[in-house]
Amino acid sequence: MKKLFALLLAGAMALSLAACGGGGGTSAGGSSAGGAAGGSGSGGSSASTPSGGGSSSGEGIRLVNGKIEIDAQLKKLAQMYEEETGTHVEIESMGGGIDIQGTLKGYYQAANMPDIFVNGGDTDFANWKGLLADMSGEAWASDTDSAYVNEDGTVGFPYTVEAVGLAYNADILEKAGVDPATLTGPQAFADAFAKIDGMKDELGLTAVVGYYTEPVNLYWSTGNHVFANYEDAGLSRDDTTYFDLLSDGGKLDEARFTKFAEFVALLQQYADNSNMISGTYDQQILNFASGKYAFVTQGSWIGATMTSDDAEQYAAAGNFKVGMVPYAFEDGIDTILTNSPSWWAVYKDGNVDAAKAFLQWLTTDEAQEVLVMEAGFISPFKSCTYVATDPFAQTIIDYQNAGKTSAWHWLGNKEGLAQNYTGQVFNDFAPGKMDTAGFVKVMQQVCASCYGG
Amino acid sequence: MESSGTGRKLLSLVLLIGGAALLVGSLALDFMGNRASYRGPMLVIGVACFLAGLYLFPTLTRHKDIINFLFLIPLLFTFAVTVIIPLCLGIFYSMTDWTGIQYTKFVGLGNYITMFKEVSFLWSLIITVLFVLFNMILVNLVGFALALLCTSRLKGVGFFRAAYFLPNLIGGIVLGYVWQFVFNNVLIQLSSNGVSLLSNTPTAFAAIIVVYIWQYAGYIMLIYVNGLVTVPGDVLEAAAIDGANAFTTLIRIKIPMIASTITICTFLTLTSAFKQFDVNMALTNGTGSVQDFMGQYLTNGTQMLALNIYNTAISKNSYALGQAKAVLFFIILACVSLIQVRVSNKKEVEM
Repeated sequence: MKKLFALLLAGAMALSLAACGGGGGTSAGGSSAGGAAGGSGSGGSSASTPSGGGSSSGEGIRLVNGKIEIDAQLKKLAQMYEEETGTHVEIESMGGGIDIQGTLKGYYQAANMPDIFVNGGDTDFANWKGLLADMSGEAWASDTDSAYVNEDGTVGFPYTVEAVGLAYNADILEKAGVDPATLTGPQAFADAFAKIDGMKDELGLTAVVGYYTEPVNLYWSTGNHVFANYEDAGLSRDDTTYFDLLSDGGKLDEARFTKFAEFVALLQQYADNSNMISGTYDQQILNFASGKYAFVTQGSWIGATMTSDDAEQYAAAGNFKVGMVPYAFEDGIDTILTNSPSWWAVYKDGNVDAAKAFLQWLTTDEAQEVLVMEAGFISPFKSCTYVATDPFAQTIIDYQNAGKTSAWHWLGNKEGLAQNYTGQVFNDFAPGKMDTAGFVKVMQQVCASCYGG
Repeated sequence: MESSGTGRKLLSLVLLIGGAALLVGSLALDFMGNRASYRGPMLVIGVACFLAGLYLFPTLTRHKDIINFLFLIPLLFTFAVTVIIPLCLGIFYSMTDWTGIQYTKFVGLGNYITMFKEVSFLWSLIITVLFVLFNMILVNLVGFALALLCTSRLKGVGFFRAAYFLPNLIGGIVLGYVWQFVFNNVLIQLSSNGVSLLSNTPTAFAAIIVVYIWQYAGYIMLIYVNGLVTVPGDVLEAAAIDGANAFTTLIRIKIPMIASTITICTFLTLTSAFKQFDVNMALTNGTGSVQDFMGQYLTNGTQMLALNIYNTAISKNSYALGQAKAVLFFIILACVSLIQVRVSNKKEVEM
C-alpha cells in the first residue's frame, strides 16, 4: 500500500513536470500553428510578456532594437500598429555597450529568435547568411537607396541616416571670423585652428578640438569613425578602393594614410589635453554642448544627446547652430560620410509575413512622423517629407542634396579591429609616444596582424 | 503470489519498453526538426515510465543496485547537462570553424595551431602567469597581515574585519568602473604629467593588481582569521612562558599551526587570479600597448587569458578559436586543481 502511494506521488510529480515542459512546448507550437512559416518559439515568449496584455491575436511579432534611446518611440509605434491592425509588436531594446550580435546568437541557440532584429553591417549580415528573408518585393525597397542588399536579396530595412564629419559650433566659428566653407584642405584647417586657438579666452573655449582617444570605452570613436575617413572621405559612394585594400590582409595606402595621420596630429595639437587620453564620451559631448570646443570628432548622433541629456548646458550656451565639415586631410576632400548605421532584418523562420507588413507600415506617413519628428531620425525614404528638429538634420540634408556624401564601409572592417587594435594605437599616438611616421608604421603592422591572425 | 509475480514482470517490461520507445521517439522527432508540441510530454512520460519499469523490475539480488542508481539519476543528469555535454560540445566546436551560429567544416587541430602562433595570445598567457604569481604572494601577505591585525587586541576589531571584507561583496564590474573613475578622474589630478595610470601598460597592469588585492585580500583575511583563532590558547601560553616574543610565536607557532589554511588560501588565490575577468574587463578591457614583443606591436597589453578568450569569441567573432583557447584554459585549471588536491591530501597525512 505504501509503495503504491509512493508510486502515485512519483507519478504525480512526473506529470506535473510534463505539464511544465509541455507548457513551453505548446506555446511554441501555437506560434507555428498561427504563423504558417513555422514557429521560432518567439510567439510563446511575446505572448507571455506583461505588455502583451493578452490582447494580441496570437500572431505577434518581436523586434530587437539596437538603439535603446528610441525605445519609447518604437513602443508608441507598436501600440499604434496594434490599434490599427490588431497585430501585437513586442519591442526589445538593447544598447549601451551590450554585444547585440552575441545576445542574438544566444537567442538562436535557445530557439528564441525575434522576427525582426538589428544588424550593423557586412560582418553582422554574414553571420546570418541564409537565415534572412528577402524583402526585394516590398514596396518600400524601391523608395530608398539605403537598403542592405547581399546575395540573399534585399535583407536590410534602413530606418535612419547618420553622418560622420568634423562637427563644429557655428556661432564660435562666426565670432572667430572663420568661414566653414573655406575649410577645404589641411593648410586651411591649420590656419583656422591657429586663429581660433589665439582667441580661446575671448571665445570661452577650453580647446579648439574635442578629440578623445580613450581606448576602453571610446575606441569606436577613433577606431571606427575617425578611421572611417581614411577609408572613405572624398570618395564616391560606391568607391571601395581603400576598404578593399584593407580587406586584403589589412593593407593601408601609405601616402593617403600619412596625410590622414598628419591631420590626426593636427587635431591632437589643438585638442583638450586634460581629456584627450582618458576622457569619456559624456564629457566630450557635454563640453561641446556647453560651447567649450569649437570642433568635436563625433558624428550626427550627438545631436540627440545635446538636446536631451545636455539640454540645460546647451541652452546656457545659446542653443548654438551646428554644422559639419569634411575631414579634409587632403586637398579636394569635400564629402562627409553618411550611411545607415544599422538595418532591421527579418528572420526567415519567424513570422515573416507579419514582420514584412510591419516594416512596410513603418514607411507610411503616420509612422514616419513618429520616427522623424519624435525619434529624431533622418528618413532614408524619398517619399518622406518630414525634417527632424535634430541640430544636425539640416546639415545632412544639405550635403545629401549637394551630392557631397560618401558611404562608410567601416561596418565591414574585420570584427574587433577598432576595439582590439586601432583604438589603442590612436591612444598611443595622442600623448606623443610615437611620431607621425611611427604611427603610420604601427598602424600598418597592427592592421596586418588583425587581418592575418 | 505466482500470478502477481508474472503480472509485475509483465508490467515492468511493458513500462521499460514503452518508456524507452517514447524516449527514443521524442528525441528522434526533435533531431528530425519536427516541432510537434507533444514532444515534451512524450519525453517526460517516457523517462517516467522507464524509471518506474526499472523500479518494478522483479529481481531480489539487484534490487538495491537499481534503487541506488535511481537515486543517483537526478545528480548524474544535472552533471551531464551542465558539465559533461557542454565540455564535449566545446571540444568538438574547437575543432570546427564554428561561428556561434553554425559550422561548415571540421578543421582538426587548426585552431590550436593558430592559437599558439598568435603573439598576442602568448602575451596574454605570460601576463596571466605574472599576474597569478604577483597575486598569490601579495594577496596572501596582505590578507595575512590584516588577519594578524584583526585577531590582535585592538579596539573595534569587528568593524575592521567587516570593512576589509566589504570590497569583496561588490561585484567586479562595478568595482572596475569605480576604480576606473578613480584612476582617470581623481588620481590624474594628483599626477604631475596629467597621464592616467591606466594609459601605460606597466602602470595599468599594476593598477589591476592593486584593485584585485583590494577586492580579494579581505576574503583571504577572513579565512586566515578563522585559522588563527583555532590556534589553541594553551600552546600560545606555553610559548609565552618559555619566553618567546611575538615574532618567534608567529614564525614558530602560529604559521606552522595554520599550514593547511595557507595551502587553501594559496590555491584559492591561484585559481581565482587565473580566472580574473571582470575587473580586467571593466578597468582596462585589455587595452595598453607593447612596443615590441616577438617583433610585433601589441595592442592588448593588459589583456589576461579569460578576457582574451572572451574578446576572441565575442568581439573578434572567432568562436571556434575562442573555444580552442577555452579548452587550453580548462586543461591548465584542471591541472592546478589536481595538484591542489594532491598537496592537500599529503598535508593532511602529515598532520
